[in-house]
Amino acid sequence: MSDASISGVSLAPGAEATRTRHRSAARLGFALLLPLLIIAMELTVSLIEPRVLSLRNITNVLVQSSYLLLFASAQMVVILTGGFDLSLGTAVSVISVATALVTTGLAVAGAPAWLILVAGLAVGLGVGLLVGVFNGLFVSRVGINPFVVTLGSLNICYGLATTISGGRPVFNVPDAFTRPLYDGTFIPGVPIPVALAIAVALLLYLLLDRTVFGRALYLIGNNPRAANLAGIPSKRYLFLAYVTCSLLAAFGSLMLTARTGSGEPNLGGSLMLESIAAAVIGGVSLQGGVGGIIPAVLGSIFVTMLSNAMDLLEVGGYVQQILLGCVIIAAIFLDRVRATRS
Amino acid sequence: MSGESTSDDALPMSVFERIYRSYNAAGFLPVLLTVLLVAFALFVPNFVAVQNLLNVLRSSSYLVIIAAGQMLVLIVGGFDLSQGAVVALTSVCSALVMVAFKDTFAAQPGLIILIGVLAGLGCGAIVGFVNGACVAFLRISPFMVTLGTMSIATGFALLLTSGIPVYGMPKSYVEGFGRGLWLDLPTAFYLAAAVVAAIWVMQHYTRMGRYILAIGGNIQAAIVSGVPAKTYLILSYVICSMLASVSGLAFTAQLGSGQAVIKDQLTLESIAAAVIAGVSIKGGIGRVEMVALGAILLLTLTDAMDLLRIDPRIQAIFLGIIVVLAVALDELSQRRAALV
Repeated sequence: MSDASISGVSLAPGAEATRTRHRSAARLGFALLLPLLIIAMELTVSLIEPRVLSLRNITNVLVQSSYLLLFASAQMVVILTGGFDLSLGTAVSVISVATALVTTGLAVAGAPAWLILVAGLAVGLGVGLLVGVFNGLFVSRVGINPFVVTLGSLNICYGLATTISGGRPVFNVPDAFTRPLYDGTFIPGVPIPVALAIAVALLLYLLLDRTVFGRALYLIGNNPRAANLAGIPSKRYLFLAYVTCSLLAAFGSLMLTARTGSGEPNLGGSLMLESIAAAVIGGVSLQGGVGGIIPAVLGSIFVTMLSNAMDLLEVGGYVQQILLGCVIIAAIFLDRVRATRS
Repeated sequence: MSGESTSDDALPMSVFERIYRSYNAAGFLPVLLTVLLVAFALFVPNFVAVQNLLNVLRSSSYLVIIAAGQMLVLIVGGFDLSQGAVVALTSVCSALVMVAFKDTFAAQPGLIILIGVLAGLGCGAIVGFVNGACVAFLRISPFMVTLGTMSIATGFALLLTSGIPVYGMPKSYVEGFGRGLWLDLPTAFYLAAAVVAAIWVMQHYTRMGRYILAIGGNIQAAIVSGVPAKTYLILSYVICSMLASVSGLAFTAQLGSGQAVIKDQLTLESIAAAVIAGVSIKGGIGRVEMVALGAILLLTLTDAMDLLRIDPRIQAIFLGIIVVLAVALDELSQRRAALV
């Protein structure tokens, strides 16, 4: 696949322009398809189970998908560069446990509320930074395949998460930490996780669309050779992409920890695959170079709504797993059809 | 990979040069494995005990079989995340089928085993075919296809059993095959040796061996040169999944029950073993004998850490560091070789 994009350089500029126009047309088509699918699914399900469209359920779905959005957009940043992050799930676990240990420790010691919050955020983002630096260094400087690097850090994070927690959840994360990130009020009527997710999504939009760094990520994923020739510091940007990914995942992990009120060594269990699935279903291409915040948002909402609808229809967990697998394959196939048609 | 090119050198080589070249051809994996084995034999208590060595041999045999399959798929530039799920599905299906025919063919345990084994291999063949067909015809990314089939296969395995182990397989299957020894060695060892030998022959002496390297190296060039790429892509995925089934059958026989939740780390381990052995994730490079060494290396390490009573949680950390370091060393040494 990468051969195609490399050979694309030698094409006449006009052809290249048409191609990008087609590609953006395809992206637009897909962007319209998924919202329609989401609405169609909700309407169909509501015929059988009207509770789906209740305000409470919709709020619930939005809150749920705001966590997935953080992880999917974290994943999207590195998928743009043509890589992915297998360590995301276990990194979420180790961050959750580390933060819970520090905040509960401080609470027991009687520290003031602001200190607990600051320390919790600092520890969580700090651990995320470490994971990102590890992944980024090995991928960009040593030049190892991201799959291998993040497979390694997956194991390392898993080991750390279960070791420092002793394999048990760390309970009683203090209110000082959970309130600002989960059950407080920030904007009346909007649940905090949704507000935070929207803020992160806006920031990420600006980062990807309005900065040299963001635009460079697309080019690195599309055509690494052209990126080098254009004088882009590819290695540094690649490194920063992994750091950004882990920091986003860390923030998501902090929000999840605040919601559960405990540090869970198994928090990230299925998140790695879910985050990749959500991003790719939304239309982020695993070949790199295609994606954005909107696909990540749509993918997260779609995946969350699907499992919410199946829950309400009382579809068993095992059958849900089978259906999710089918949906993943179908969604990628549709994406593929669209890409080749145009 | 560059080992063959040395033969057209007319100049006589010094012994040192010869050693250096054979090291270059084989890579550092055999050296690393030898060093580790000697070190463990000297410093890890009970490592050289017969029972322990048999255990290592048995457990690494399962991984060798799976990793050999993973290698084939990696060579054609793909991935198989569904291997662990296929192992579980095979385990469940073969056990359920054997239990179902227990009364019908009570007098012929051989027949029951045969049907069960065929059912297990059938699961592998179906999943492999779906994977291969999606990759070859629908051109979906192998990562996503096998992610999907992983979810589907696991779902079916759990659905069929509700997560409860299936007991009641013929005794001769469990005692004779799964836990048995032939000539003092675990049966799984012979299975693994046969698989490695077969794939080695396939890679060196058959059309398929050359074709899959060509597909992984440059699929466009392969198609233009007349390689039926789609057929061989599908074939690679089918063989990969069926090898996962073989391993699943042997493992089920050892456990004595069909289980939907076994070894979820298996897929990642098989990829790790292949990657340590120098198989390129980008396709086109891979040697089965090295992959076997990679699998043995991983399980020798695990075993030594078990004997040293290192917590399995901390073992995971070591495993992660080793995978990254092994590949980093390989990468750096290649880069140095390129500079020279």
